[in-house]
Amino acid sequence: MRRDFFKWCAFAGLGLAAPVRGQRAGRAADGLDLPAYDGPYYVVINASGGWDTTYLMDPKGVGGINRLYREGDIVTHGNHRFAPTAKSQQGGLSNEDFYAEFGGELLVFNGLDYAVNNHSPCSRYMATGKLDSLAYPTFAALVAACQGPSCPLSFLTFGNYSATGNLVAMSRVPYLPSLKRIANADAISGNQRAPYHDDFALARIEGALSEHRGARASQPLLPRQERAESMLYAAQVNSKALARVTPHIPQDIPKQRLARQAEIALASFKAGVCVSANLSIGQFDSHANNDADQMKLIPELLEGIAYVLHRAEDLRIRDKLVVIAQSEMGRTPTYNQGDGKDHWSIGSIMFLGPGIKGDRVIGATDEGQFAIPFDPHQLACDQDAGIRVRPEHLHEALRQFAGIADHPHSRQFPLGIKPEEQLRGLWG
Amino acid sequence: MNARYVICTLSAVMVGVAVARGVHAEPCPAAGGRAAADVWFAEEVWPKVASLECLKCHKQGGDAEDTQFVLTDLSRARPSERGKRLQSNRDAFLKLAPLRANDQPLLLSKAVGELDHGGNQVLKPDSAGYRILAEFVRRVNVPSSTPARPPAVTADAAPFFDGVLMLDDRRLLRRATLSLAGRLPTESELDVVAAQGLKAMPELLDGILREEAFYERLREGFNDIFLTLGVDGNPDRSVLSYEHFEKTRGWYQRHDLSHIEDEKARRQAGYKLANEYRKALLDEPMRLIDHIVRHDRPFTEIVTADYIMVSPYTARGYGIFDEVKDRFKDPDDPFEYVPVRLKALVGRNRSEDQESATGFYPHAGLLSTFQYLSRYPTTETNRNRLRARMYYQHFLGVDVLELAARVADAAAVTAKFEVPTMQASECVVCHKTVDPVAGLFQDYWRFDNNFAIYGRRKEGWFSDMFSAGFEGDDLPTDQRWRALQWLGERTADDPRFAATMVGHAYYLLKGRHPLLPPADLDDPRYAAKLRAYREQQRQIEVIASHFVDADFNFKVALKEWVLSDDYRARRLETESGTPERMAALDDIGVVRMLSPEQLERKIAAVFGQPWGRLTGQTAMLYGGIDSKQVTERATDPSGAMGAVQRTLANDVACRNVALDFSRPKDRRILFPGIEPNVLPAVSAESDARIRDAIVHLHQRVLGRYDNANSPEVDRTFALFAGVVADAESRQGFDPREAWSCRQGLESPVPDPHYTVRAWRAVVTYLLRRPEFLYE
Repeated sequence: MRRDFFKWCAFAGLGLAAPVRGQRAGRAADGLDLPAYDGPYYVVINASGGWDTTYLMDPKGVGGINRLYREGDIVTHGNHRFAPTAKSQQGGLSNEDFYAEFGGELLVFNGLDYAVNNHSPCSRYMATGKLDSLAYPTFAALVAACQGPSCPLSFLTFGNYSATGNLVAMSRVPYLPSLKRIANADAISGNQRAPYHDDFALARIEGALSEHRGARASQPLLPRQERAESMLYAAQVNSKALARVTPHIPQDIPKQRLARQAEIALASFKAGVCVSANLSIGQFDSHANNDADQMKLIPELLEGIAYVLHRAEDLRIRDKLVVIAQSEMGRTPTYNQGDGKDHWSIGSIMFLGPGIKGDRVIGATDEGQFAIPFDPHQLACDQDAGIRVRPEHLHEALRQFAGIADHPHSRQFPLGIKPEEQLRGLWG
Repeated sequence: MNARYVICTLSAVMVGVAVARGVHAEPCPAAGGRAAADVWFAEEVWPKVASLECLKCHKQGGDAEDTQFVLTDLSRARPSERGKRLQSNRDAFLKLAPLRANDQPLLLSKAVGELDHGGNQVLKPDSAGYRILAEFVRRVNVPSSTPARPPAVTADAAPFFDGVLMLDDRRLLRRATLSLAGRLPTESELDVVAAQGLKAMPELLDGILREEAFYERLREGFNDIFLTLGVDGNPDRSVLSYEHFEKTRGWYQRHDLSHIEDEKARRQAGYKLANEYRKALLDEPMRLIDHIVRHDRPFTEIVTADYIMVSPYTARGYGIFDEVKDRFKDPDDPFEYVPVRLKALVGRNRSEDQESATGFYPHAGLLSTFQYLSRYPTTETNRNRLRARMYYQHFLGVDVLELAARVADAAAVTAKFEVPTMQASECVVCHKTVDPVAGLFQDYWRFDNNFAIYGRRKEGWFSDMFSAGFEGDDLPTDQRWRALQWLGERTADDPRFAATMVGHAYYLLKGRHPLLPPADLDDPRYAAKLRAYREQQRQIEVIASHFVDADFNFKVALKEWVLSDDYRARRLETESGTPERMAALDDIGVVRMLSPEQLERKIAAVFGQPWGRLTGQTAMLYGGIDSKQVTERATDPSGAMGAVQRTLANDVACRNVALDFSRPKDRRILFPGIEPNVLPAVSAESDARIRDAIVHLHQRVLGRYDNANSPEVDRTFALFAGVVADAESRQGFDPREAWSCRQGLESPVPDPHYTVRAWRAVVTYLLRRPEFLYE
């Protein structure tokens, strides 16, 4: 199936960065159905605002870093150490329950250095691996562009930094009912039994559009024109595949914020029309009343992750689903006068999915919540000769994990990680 | 100067140097090697290293303002002064270039973070930026040697727009009328353009810019920038605070609707009243822009206006309706606005009263509107920095967080200093600029208690922040009560303001912001991108200059962009562009996917009625914004948007084709010259009539002026004839249009030959084309 998909992409030439030329476009519109993309699927979940990692995967029971537990209260599950939240949580899923179910699959990296501590640049940095450029695509957009450029909802986003590097169109489908609305665009009110045009007329329309695209592609257009017309044609032709989403749209719309986004993403994955999705929940920026806020939000986040995984299991795509949970910054090891915690440039990230060896914690922070330098080859802390692991290191590793590190799109946006700084064997 | 430094007394430093002629200085062969250093400075050092790195600190108001190496920010200089300022910056570098420390050039050592450089490392030793600086040092110190490499941008390059074909005047007019007034050009306008060509455009544009539809577009476009419609919560609560408008903001709840007898109708009227009141409140900031442009007032008033715009409804909310009601043409129109100067705010107790030397609220255009302040609120820890950041972005075109400086160990810096934002150079570099502006908003501090806007911090303003001011100038104590007016005055006088407003005009027309300077010096396309950036900056400066000369009349900026090569670019002359050339031309032309609102207006212009379905959730799906969470419009179509386009094309064609045929000929807009009984392949005459009808449709729907025998018309003809032939070969089809597509007709339109449906297929095809969906 996967091979068919790539074959089709090459045949139809519908990649967005690679303009449709000549007759190839015509063949795509002549009725050749877009094959379903069959994974892997990528979900990047953003805890927007800056999570307190000491209340999740990087517990600190000393130095007054937190007020809800002490060193002796820290819980372990396999190789994981995490903060106890079962007694403090306000709704959602406790760390204890989350790790009990998913700890065996979970890879955590602690001691990630964001280098700055403002929301906007940090969000950009975490999403793209590049701090000082507005041009770079997010990992989710990049992997979508490399692996499923013609999927109609190749890159879905529900918020957070979502730049695409002009490689792929960004899809925003904010509501489940919206998916139904666009699933049968050639039928009156979406009713398949009431098409606007007879089949032969619709085929003629598609043929004329295909011919037109072919003719335009042979003309000396402006660069932006060429790109736009190619994308437009691909968007319309490929949108037919959205009809496959309908059976996977649930009857009931869940109430939780992440669950609502997840249903749209998972239905799109299942239908083979989507490669990656940015999910996001906000309000983590707990400058006031840190503990109360984080005890509400972290359990909500974990509940959302669990929802994604459970529903993926229901849809039988769990074995193809890669989940990345991140935030754009951490929170200070001290409380401010409003019982809040301010921005901290050291944090953590979580990975889970096929090809990722779980039950592992890599990297660390010290007692003061400072990053401990890290040996990227030994995957161990090295106070003397280690490096500071930053988002570009993780993004380079992610690109390799997804098999896109050498893709022309990735080469267009180099991360500049020297071989000696690449994280070797991170995925296990 | 540190005694360690060995001063190399090169005579070149002491003698006069050839004057660089500006940012784009050209080589001066007669001046020899020194001139080469000057050119190198103007073309390489300044744009690629100094303005991007050194200037962050080494400027007035910067962290290194107390050193002997202080540069001038050229973006803050008036165009006529820039050559001189560049020269003084070059001189500053020339003085340093011969200096050595520890047997290394001082300039290079500082750049890599040695010699206690306050800004630490700003260039890596193996970076392109370092090599540029090293070459400058070499040229200064060994002026007679051969330049190691020429500047990336050569002065003898062909004109930027060479080989780019421009829109013909009729299509330019159509683009302008649709973009700015949401309508097609009139026959008389087309006649004028046909007779006079491009020179007729300024006057035609003057007319377009007086139309009511233009002001709707203006408000919509500027909301995309300022996002003031995105104020959270009910505006009668979040805009009008409890402390100052407690008794008046809820006027609609007490409004007498007793004349409406039916209870349900009365309740509905109450809802309508409240909704319109809230909408009117949110709309006030954009109505200020509307007012300024409509009355040809200086656009600087968006930061200096000593008034706000109020409607009869919002005036009630402020409690001033009785004072101003006579100024309204219709005191019951919720959306008629007049300028008003509010009195200083009076609170529920004296501590909430506003200080004012004049007795009036110190209005400063948008800056001091309650909507702007509540759209960009503050918190105890943010300390108005968000407002300062947005101020810089909106009014001076500077995104202070855009390319944040990387810090070696930000956490350690945070922990090491008691007040990192004032003590750690990594933080000071931005905070010394941002925090003083944040301090100017200090009296708009309240962020709890129902989101009151005005209010002073009980403990006084923060002492662990740089004090209130603007880029080196402290706010005088006696100006505090009018701090935002003080800021507005400086903003209006800042050359960056005019350039930024010209950039906003560009955004309104093209849907994207002006280019940023390319940052990656190692990018093989760097030179091409730099050339594109410079060309655009040159255009911005020219337009900004005319904009200023016209007393900041915003219409001048719009008109000049419309007439610019960039806006008129249509396609390339030949397909022989090198990758570098294509990179340089990457952003030119409009090529803008229409927003939901624009698309609805275009459908209304072409078909006489909007589609009406690109609203709410569908608008969001089609890349629209809500001004709150979703603030950037989609610029490229996703598959979801492709599906919406298919539905739109199908449905608009369905609603309009049979309807048009059902009208008398003289009232038809799509098919004035043909009937459904004209069949293809029957006679040469019938084919000619069909082709003429297609030419008309191409012109109306796509804005194309095709010849009846052109390949474009051939293709559409083939579609029409093919559908009719297919239908005929199938036999037994319903001799009527589809049920949904024959509703609301003015007279019956039978379809025994399937031609009506074939025309519908044609219109569907045209509606899906880029010429329709893009601008």
